[in-house]
Amino acid sequence: MKRYARVMEVVGLAMVASLVVVAIFARQLAPHDPTRAVAQTFGDPAPPSWEFPMGTDALGRDVLSRVIYGAQISLTVGVAAMLVTMTIGVLFGLASGFFGGKVDFILMRITDVMLTLPGLLLAMAFVSVLGPSLVVLLFVIGLVSWTGIARVVRAEALSVSQRDFVTAARALGAPSHRLIARHVLPNVMPLIIVMAALGTSGTLLLDASLSFLGLGVPPPTPSWGRMIEEATIYFRVAPWLATFPGLAIFYAVMGFNLLGYGAIARRRQT
Amino acid sequence: MKKFRLALIHAIAIAALSAIIPGCSREDNQDYGLPPGSAILRISDSDDVPTLDPAAGYDTQSWEFEQMFFSTLLKYGDADVELHPDIATSWEQSQDATVYTFHLRTDARFSNGRVVEADDFRYEIERVLTPATRSKGIEYYKGIVGASEFTAHAAAHVSGIETPDPATIIFHLTKPDPLFAHKMAMPFASAVPREVVEKWGEDFSAHVIGSGPFMLKEWIPGQRIVAVKSPLYFVKGEPRLYAIVDLLGVNQELAWLKFQSGQIDAGGIPPAEFPYVMKNPELRKLALKQTTVTTHYMGMNCQMPPFDDVRVRRAFNYAIDKNKLIAILNGRGIAARGVLPPNLPGYNPDLKGYEYDPARARQLLEEAHLRHDFTPQLWLRADETLMLLCESIQQDLDLVGVHVKLKPLAWGPLLEAIRQPHNVELFMNGWEADFPDPENFLSVLLSRKQWGANNDAFYENPKVEALLAQAAPVTDMKLRFELYDEAEKIVVQDAPWVFLDYPVTYTLVQPWVHDYVLNPMRPTRYEKVWVEPHK
Repeated sequence: MKRYARVMEVVGLAMVASLVVVAIFARQLAPHDPTRAVAQTFGDPAPPSWEFPMGTDALGRDVLSRVIYGAQISLTVGVAAMLVTMTIGVLFGLASGFFGGKVDFILMRITDVMLTLPGLLLAMAFVSVLGPSLVVLLFVIGLVSWTGIARVVRAEALSVSQRDFVTAARALGAPSHRLIARHVLPNVMPLIIVMAALGTSGTLLLDASLSFLGLGVPPPTPSWGRMIEEATIYFRVAPWLATFPGLAIFYAVMGFNLLGYGAIARRRQT
Repeated sequence: MKKFRLALIHAIAIAALSAIIPGCSREDNQDYGLPPGSAILRISDSDDVPTLDPAAGYDTQSWEFEQMFFSTLLKYGDADVELHPDIATSWEQSQDATVYTFHLRTDARFSNGRVVEADDFRYEIERVLTPATRSKGIEYYKGIVGASEFTAHAAAHVSGIETPDPATIIFHLTKPDPLFAHKMAMPFASAVPREVVEKWGEDFSAHVIGSGPFMLKEWIPGQRIVAVKSPLYFVKGEPRLYAIVDLLGVNQELAWLKFQSGQIDAGGIPPAEFPYVMKNPELRKLALKQTTVTTHYMGMNCQMPPFDDVRVRRAFNYAIDKNKLIAILNGRGIAARGVLPPNLPGYNPDLKGYEYDPARARQLLEEAHLRHDFTPQLWLRADETLMLLCESIQQDLDLVGVHVKLKPLAWGPLLEAIRQPHNVELFMNGWEADFPDPENFLSVLLSRKQWGANNDAFYENPKVEALLAQAAPVTDMKLRFELYDEAEKIVVQDAPWVFLDYPVTYTLVQPWVHDYVLNPMRPTRYEKVWVEPHK
């Protein structure tokens, strides 16, 4: 079992690493400019060929180049939104778990309220009001998806802060902020890292959903969700337009999930 | 994706239902209370018809039905926008276009048996002019002498409408109006029987009686409208159908499935299916197409810098590749050269528009010293197809160094926004003619008087203004069209819009349906349509 966990983790890591490489070197890897027409296939998308391995879309753009550049946006939004998510979630969770009592009660009720609101709807409302842009997008996604993390971190922080070494440190007169920073947080960290990997797959999907609904990063910036949305008109005559960005989303989400679950499984066994 | 799944669910649901409930797979004539084997045309609409009362309706769907149930003095041809006799057999207008005389046929009857008289037309126009009716057509008939007194309740009748005998009606106008005859072809001016309207009052819409080719048999709100042929219709041999059944509450995707399975006889093509239909030779054969009297344009607010500079506006016209837009639309349009669409009387086929010429555009923008950080916002109605077109426009402008941001929003707020001065610099819009006359485009969309209303580019040119004023009362059509042509040429030079395309609409009609014709400006008329026996 442990070996499987290890394999999952390594494969996940490799997938994520490959995405990062593609995103960083998009300019070198993409055969064409993703926002310019490179073929005269207006209104009549061309199927995959040697010249255009993923075909061209109704605006004559190379799908492969768009998928490659799409990795940039998806990873940027996914990771940055995950950082926002983590910051909020970890702060809430640590404070709740460590202080307990009234602080815990209030913070967890806020979390409960946030949990009752459907994330996608909330994100749609925010983006509609604020207008779609990269910054708005990653903050909005971060703001609607921190609740799960807050709960998990709280549980872990609660159990850690009951342990003897924390009690010992407290007996020695260590102030709360030191207790949290030096004793609780380091022990919660492995869990946070795992949650971050899993959280990224969630933020990636939310980004793709918002883009599909026309609330993602505005065009001409290529994004996987929007590519699928634009492909709906051509679904019956040019299914490859939706298939390739769909596979890209699958690959990215799969990579982060394998990484996260692999790490969890390995951690359980040690 | 979502649409596709919906379609799939519909397909499965229909297949399942037809398997379970025998006799439900085919909607039999008996279901609608119609004789078995009678010739029926089945159509569908996603929403209920707003109204059948000709004084009230001002939308395509209402007009489609009002045309079936009512007659006007004049009507348009099946596929043209020329005036043809309906109840009026002939008509004259005075030299100065202030007096119009119509001679009525005497054999026209309402479906309740009463003969149609001149008074029935007068009654309907007075009804439209009565503020309590809240008719959207009131503006069209305010030019009749005495209309304002009548509207203000200062007179019992409109003094400018004379009915010397039951077969003659004369209209006196306060000022020349060469388009008045066209206003008599709008459903607002249908003959309606006073006794029936007064009997039902507000409820007339559900109990319409008119002199048209069909009569209302049944209207179950949200389910269906059944119209059957009127035995008293004055044209012998028409209508050729026995009945028309309009299934209501059938959305576009469901209508598409019903069409493919032969359950409806004519219908539109959902945007997501259009490329598929055009690539499928069997379906393509069934498609009828018609260039509508519509112009699509990208407006540029002439009062907002840098669009107050004509060079920038011309540059945009040169920079955008219209043929690419048409290709993206799979041929659902004709590249525009000016304001007036083909099919509109007065259209100038030799007008020189703007060719795609990015080099020229770049040069003009340089001459205008356009700032490099200029990133205008292009406002558009949120719509998949329109978004694709705007992305193409964005690409084209990018090539000449203008980076456009797209701002999709709902139709209502968009219309509201573009009417505010100094608010929207670039926007996508279009105009469909109410009347087949250049006045309906040039004066309505580009006159200074329409600032804050329909002149959303906030365009102004005193020369154009003078030509429009000069042309409006001219009844000599040749001279009239020459004046408008001159005005249009100046407008094209001034380029307040990027003239994009004249849209072409498509309708699919089953092979067993004949003489189904699309009109460029009005809904299809059904009196000549016939269907062969089919499975």
